[in-house]
Amino acid sequence: MNVKFFATYRKIVGQGCIDIPAPGTVLDLLAEMERRYPAFRGQLLSADGTDKSPEAIVLVCGRHIEHLDGVRTVLTEQDYVALTPLVAGG
Amino acid sequence: MAMHLVVDPKKCKACRSCELACSFGHNGEFNPRLSCVTIFHYEDAAITVPVMCMQCDESACAKVCPTNALTRNTDGLVVHDPFKCLVCKMCVSACPLGNISYSPLKAKVFKCDLCDGDPQCVKFCPTGAISAVDPTEAPDKKQLAADKLKALAEEA
Amino acid sequence: MAVGNAWVGTILRVNLTEGTIAKEPLNMKDANDYVGARGLGTKYYCNEVDPKIDPLSPENKLVFMTGALTGTFAPSAGRYEVVSKSPLTGTIGAANSGGHFGPELKYAGYDGIIFEGKAAAPVYLYINDDVVELRDASHLWGKNVHEATDLLEQEVGKFRIATIAPSGENGVLFAGVMNDKNRAAGRGGMGAVMGSKNLKAVVVRGTGSVKVARPDGFLKETLRTRTMLREHPVCGEGLAAYGTEILVNIINEVGGLPKNNGRDGAVFEGAYEISGEKLAEGALVKNQGCFGCTIACGRVTKIEPDESEFYGFGEGPEYEAGWSFGADCGVDDIAAVLKANWICNEEGMDPITLGATIACAMELFELGAIPESDIGFPLRFGDAAAMVRCVRMTADGEGFGKLLGQGSYRLAEHYGHPELSMSVKKQEMPAYDGRAIQGIALEYATSNRGGCHVRGYMISPEVLGLPVKTDPLVTEGKGALLKTFQDLTALCDSTGICLFTTFALGLPELAGLYREAVGTDETDEDILLKGERIWNLEKRFNMAAGVEKDTLPPRLLREELPSGPAKGKVAELQVMLADYYEARGWTDEGEPTAAKFDELSL
Repeated sequence: MNVKFFATYRKIVGQGCIDIPAPGTVLDLLAEMERRYPAFRGQLLSADGTDKSPEAIVLVCGRHIEHLDGVRTVLTEQDYVALTPLVAGG
Repeated sequence: MAMHLVVDPKKCKACRSCELACSFGHNGEFNPRLSCVTIFHYEDAAITVPVMCMQCDESACAKVCPTNALTRNTDGLVVHDPFKCLVCKMCVSACPLGNISYSPLKAKVFKCDLCDGDPQCVKFCPTGAISAVDPTEAPDKKQLAADKLKALAEEA
Repeated sequence: MAVGNAWVGTILRVNLTEGTIAKEPLNMKDANDYVGARGLGTKYYCNEVDPKIDPLSPENKLVFMTGALTGTFAPSAGRYEVVSKSPLTGTIGAANSGGHFGPELKYAGYDGIIFEGKAAAPVYLYINDDVVELRDASHLWGKNVHEATDLLEQEVGKFRIATIAPSGENGVLFAGVMNDKNRAAGRGGMGAVMGSKNLKAVVVRGTGSVKVARPDGFLKETLRTRTMLREHPVCGEGLAAYGTEILVNIINEVGGLPKNNGRDGAVFEGAYEISGEKLAEGALVKNQGCFGCTIACGRVTKIEPDESEFYGFGEGPEYEAGWSFGADCGVDDIAAVLKANWICNEEGMDPITLGATIACAMELFELGAIPESDIGFPLRFGDAAAMVRCVRMTADGEGFGKLLGQGSYRLAEHYGHPELSMSVKKQEMPAYDGRAIQGIALEYATSNRGGCHVRGYMISPEVLGLPVKTDPLVTEGKGALLKTFQDLTALCDSTGICLFTTFALGLPELAGLYREAVGTDETDEDILLKGERIWNLEKRFNMAAGVEKDTLPPRLLREELPSGPAKGKVAELQVMLADYYEARGWTDEGEPTAAKFDELSL
């Protein structure tokens, strides 16, 4: 599956997107990213590791995980995920 | 010797919070023309420089003052005594950096006093473009240059 | 609440027909009831002008008004409002701008300026503390914003300058008033009103002070709010690093970045090429702040001649312009977007309306509704050079540019397809597709100045999750939420504080700063009520002006999104409107009742 990174996350990964085998759930994906890219530590997962950080936005196929099953949202190979720190504009 | 202020023009975003904080701290009102620090913006170069009293060792302002209203205190700070001051404005002319100011509104001469050790410009600067440093512990530019050379040597 | 506490106490009244200038005391009752800037400027305007007035007639008036907190060190409190009836929409027009002009006006001793009549020949207003005079501006007429500002600085010295460009002189209906060169009171054509009065510029130098009622309390509130802003991920980091353009990718991800005038949905494959990330990688020289701002979202940008034919130097773009000249025109060339935006700054034009008008022209051309001979060249989606050429032609009032200068509604109507104008009340909707983000559709439909995002920024809860996350595809609860956002925004705009602070600050913080500045013990709710009063005042003006009812372009109501996460969706406006009118306490037809006006002491 494809994972896209925006804003500062893009700098951490060093590229705009990566292809990885789909982990089980969004929580697994976030943990995997924190393992793979140490600079993510503390940015994607909440302090206790059971949820996403309030300062991360996670979209699965363009839908915020808040409106799916949260970090328990199941990921398949056909899904794509976008990760971005909390940003705003207008 | 006490702290002095250093500025980093690269960090300055031209917001003038320092001018407001200085004016408010000394006068209780907002007026950039009552501020001891002034922002200069160079539009074409996209660079902004905050300018304030550097507490010169050879203080032209103190030397020219006829009533000793400007003196160096034990902290190394050039302090202004409004009770001795004639408001003759000789110091305003003498300072080569323009860092002694005269306010027609308040009919007074004023300069940076580092806010009794808690400089408000430093406190309000959102980016750290103005900082208060102990001169004996200020970052050594020779060290920075050495670091750069080391990095270059490593690359080679 | 008295003169001297936040307010400096004087309004300048300038009659351009007679050439007279009067100083009158600020109406303190209205200042207290309407907060300042947008609210107070609108109140002064509504007190004095018939809502049926022709906006470009000499009988119309133009108000510049600062906020209660403008000129203090409350965070980002450097804003002022330009108010008049909008020649683009026929609604109340109120455009808000930052930079350093507003505070300087207050330091000169004036809370605001009211312009009346029309000068016989071009003039500018010179304000140097107590010295206020009208001066000849015939040598400045025809000069763009940057040229006029430079010439005025040579003439008068270091003054703060607000000016119009030839766009305003020639009645481009979305001409803005520009201050400090690149800061814009941008939307709704306030620059055209100024130009219709033969008023080229206002230059101001002030050496006085602004004071607050309770200095100790004000210092405390200021330190608290500035700390909150610095520690907030959006206001402390994101906006400084990437500017507002950072939104491009995430809005595209949720399928809400309108492409090709919205004709081809709202997923743009070239999004990254026009994003804040792309900007930060190349063209960004540095970020810059307005007066007293801890956020510093402004972009200083540059493209070298060897990089692109669209080389240059200037400020911006904001997200909205990145979209309007980018995705909306199908253009994925960041240099072209920058060029178009720089021209808008120099020539004082609203880039949202202009970009969307060019996009509309592109659709009309591809449809065969505009013959190529009318334009002079083919105008297809994705043609960056043609897009930039249209921007230049509009600035110069040349050929087809004259029609573009009337906005998309009049353009599309001229060619027999008004339904292809992506506008509400004749003002172009900005950079979020109301089919993918339902609440923003409701905001577009109900905004008191026509299609607009900054009257109630629903993107904040619907996409960013600030202050709470709501589902962009759901309509439930949006009416009540939007009402609160609109009232809070009216309050924020009127204080003189930048709306961008509200990503981190809420009502308690804005109200706290306001209380200490003016010296009141009103509750948070009392103060928010002033926001609701301002909203209803604007609405009352629009009703009396005969503005059309709240609706959206047929495309948003009937054409389903063809792709993306919101595939198949249209804007479900009717159900949201009903909830909204109920939350507002208005009739089912969307009109405030006499009882509502009484409740708000209107």
